[in-house]
Amino acid sequence: MPDEFVTPEPDEAVKLALRRIDEATARGEGSDADGLAFNEVVVNMGPQHPSTHGVLRLVVTLDGELVKDVIPVIGYLHRCKEKLAERRTYFQYIPIVDRTEYVASMNCEWAYVMTVEKLAGIQPTRRAEFIRVITGELSRMASHLVAVGTFTADLAPLGTAMVFYMFRDREYILDLLEELSGARMMFNYFRFGGVRYDLPDGWTSKCRDLMKRMPKLIDEYESLVDDNAIFLQRTQGKGVITQQDVVDFGITGPNARASAVALDLRRSRPYSVYPELDFEVCTAEHGDIFDRYRVRMDELRESIRIVEQCLDMLPKGPVQAGALRAPYVITPPPGSCYVGQENPRGEYGTYIESDGSRYPYRLKYRDPCFCNLQLFPKLLSGNKIADAVAISGSIDLVLGGIDR
Amino acid sequence: MDTLLAILRAVVFVVIAYAVVFVAALVNIVFERRVLAFMQDRHGPNRTGPHGVLQSIADAFKMMGKEDFRPLLADPYLFTLAPVMVMIGAVAVQLVIPYTGGITATGLDIGIIFLVAITSFTTLSILLGGWSSHNKYSLIGALRGAAQMISYEIPMILGLIVVAMVVGSLNVTDVVAAQSGYRWIAFYAPFTFLIFYIASIAELNRGPFDLPESESELVSGYGTEYSGMRFGMFFLNEYAGLTIMSMVAVTLFFGGWQGPFAGAIQILGVSWIGLVWFFVKTYVLVFALVWIRLSLPRLQVDQLMGFAWKILIPLGLVNILATAAVMLWVPSWRWGLAIFSWVALLAFVGLFDPILKRRLRKQRERQPVVSA
Amino acid sequence: MGLEVGSNPMSMDAIAALLAERFAGDLADIRIQEPDTIRTKCAPEQLKDIARRLKDDPDAGYETLNWIAGVDRQASIESIYHVYSWQTNTWLELHVDLPRENPEVDTVTGVWPAADWHEREAWDMVGIVYLGHPDLRRILLKDDFIGHPLRKDYIDLAENHPHA
Repeated sequence: MPDEFVTPEPDEAVKLALRRIDEATARGEGSDADGLAFNEVVVNMGPQHPSTHGVLRLVVTLDGELVKDVIPVIGYLHRCKEKLAERRTYFQYIPIVDRTEYVASMNCEWAYVMTVEKLAGIQPTRRAEFIRVITGELSRMASHLVAVGTFTADLAPLGTAMVFYMFRDREYILDLLEELSGARMMFNYFRFGGVRYDLPDGWTSKCRDLMKRMPKLIDEYESLVDDNAIFLQRTQGKGVITQQDVVDFGITGPNARASAVALDLRRSRPYSVYPELDFEVCTAEHGDIFDRYRVRMDELRESIRIVEQCLDMLPKGPVQAGALRAPYVITPPPGSCYVGQENPRGEYGTYIESDGSRYPYRLKYRDPCFCNLQLFPKLLSGNKIADAVAISGSIDLVLGGIDR
Repeated sequence: MDTLLAILRAVVFVVIAYAVVFVAALVNIVFERRVLAFMQDRHGPNRTGPHGVLQSIADAFKMMGKEDFRPLLADPYLFTLAPVMVMIGAVAVQLVIPYTGGITATGLDIGIIFLVAITSFTTLSILLGGWSSHNKYSLIGALRGAAQMISYEIPMILGLIVVAMVVGSLNVTDVVAAQSGYRWIAFYAPFTFLIFYIASIAELNRGPFDLPESESELVSGYGTEYSGMRFGMFFLNEYAGLTIMSMVAVTLFFGGWQGPFAGAIQILGVSWIGLVWFFVKTYVLVFALVWIRLSLPRLQVDQLMGFAWKILIPLGLVNILATAAVMLWVPSWRWGLAIFSWVALLAFVGLFDPILKRRLRKQRERQPVVSA
Repeated sequence: MGLEVGSNPMSMDAIAALLAERFAGDLADIRIQEPDTIRTKCAPEQLKDIARRLKDDPDAGYETLNWIAGVDRQASIESIYHVYSWQTNTWLELHVDLPRENPEVDTVTGVWPAADWHEREAWDMVGIVYLGHPDLRRILLKDDFIGHPLRKDYIDLAENHPHA
């Protein structure tokens, strides 16, 4: 080793991993028990790694191909969103919510706007509610397409084809949303008591066309992988989330539903016009990688159904309650409230405390990925490293939401 | 004088072999990217030259212009040696392959053994490169690579033994000659070809067997620390490997350079149309390799090893025994072999997937339900 | 046993009455926040015990921890626990007031495993010390960051970011 080279000090997470190895060895459970020293290797996956979907960092202890221990390290995308809320008015803060979980921005805005509406006692118009459901479900579809596409890409080059097909379809959806809001991903579309713009001319027929095309495309994707023995072998029976895990760690969304838990806030804590709509809560019963993939595919279909129903039921009327446009400054009465909303990844909500001023006193996010990520050490340990990648892909993390 | 000529001849053939490797690699890169783009419903490289054909030349120059970087803790000698050595296999294999009638570097009598022996050089350099990089991803990738390539060499050899048995010679030129008149070995030993082909995909480290550099878990496996032209050498070798392995397959199983009018134009004792046939056949197989890569998910380490040791090797051994039995006891053994091999092929192709899926379904039924 | 949502539906008033009866003297100021949340307060020294009892309650077991938020109230610092009851399909917000100069409270990781990261976040952002937490490190900010940015008196100085 050259003299001038100084090994950098390992950070807290790596130190913890090394400490755990030492402890396991001391207990006689380490793999050096058989007399071979240094059998375990601490590998630092991320924050730049092809399959961590963002800047997630996993400090992985490997014993050969086997994952012994995982320590997730987050915070590389921390943008102080909770601090920013202290000096933004409620209205100014809407675009910042967009950027938390950027894959399903519409749903995030929705959760925030609902919380503020509840605090301030604003009731959105009925047409706006339907438009919110349509955009929320379109956003959910776009998000699930990204989730499934990138997950299959983790499994194989085959997935790269899936990624391109799915991103192409997502682009159709984003085109619709862009026409509606003016932006492709960071919509800034929801307003307190309604939405920013009414539907443009001809938008509903375009949306209907797409909804008619989507089921065929989804069938095509399923035919690509569902019948593939290698895919089944790599996904079935691996990374099982038990119902105890769901209870203990607060797992929500498709990950919980894949474990036969019919927890869907659209049903269990109904908001907006969901009680009037007819849709299934998709569940599966094994809770493994394959089931999580299946649940997402089923939910794509359900979302199509919901959007079609909303288009049929869409009432006429204003899209903004009260004045012609949303109030720039609102001052909710002092108090606090939390509203959870069914994001594509699970329960996403904001807890807001108001002190009666124009700024939120405290704003706290409840992010589904943050809770799901907590399960990683338990879920990945004991699997092969290739499985670990597949499992982490199937959990579908968005680091923007985790790190805030 | 003769010695001088022999040396000149040797130099010319080595130059040709290197040229084939480089040209094939550059062509294959563009070819694969275009085919992938077509299958994935996008455009692919189409800016550099007409239809993007010059893309990989531009990439090659870009790679040469990059900083020649070596990690401080990497072993300086082995780290440099590995990318230099990696080409040996691809170049040396060509020395026994007849490109066409009249162009063969050497009619080595142990040609088939030479083929197998020399392709192992790639394994060695992958192992060297991965180990000397002083990187955990590289090390894991290299060890995976070594394990995989050593395992899959065995079914490959088992396939080649059948070829040697059928032809009665280990000389590659004899193998081609024995297939004249469309008596291609692939026609009456298709099952052997299947075993050989699966093993050769694994030897090439390509999908679905691309574990040594599975980019979703190991960043880029053994090549993680390499950049610039050092990385370029690994990359070129991988893509040249497509053509080289297809050349071997064409020579041993598809009659080599022979085809309609193959010997029609003879200039300087070389059949030039045969050359065209040789490369047409080669590129059909290259296309198949690209296609397979895109349509199958990657196997996992245990599944990969299991497939080699539990399925391919036993089948290869049974295949050798059956072929020997047919050749010994069946009077017109070519017909007997053809019938046996086609039946085996169809049975394997027709039964393997359903049996696997049935097992998976059963496993799925037994799998505990989480709510229970 | 299958996990069901709302297997034991109860009205909010009934739950509030139930909690008031079973936790008399422990839970103070039980209020109903429409439509489905109960807000209540408890003393920090009793938190662990109350958390355990809330989780094990046979009729309204609050089994899942949804999130923990630390709030700086200038006079004091508050740790808020938002928990979910699968049986009744309702939520409960448990507010714990801590002294500002010494915000320490027992960890609830032993009761709700999910509390692990949420407590780390509250420590990171507001500086609440969770006694007995297995691994109380910073989570969103760097290991060597100085200060707790969501405190109202936090001033962002360059010295707080040693390796920025």
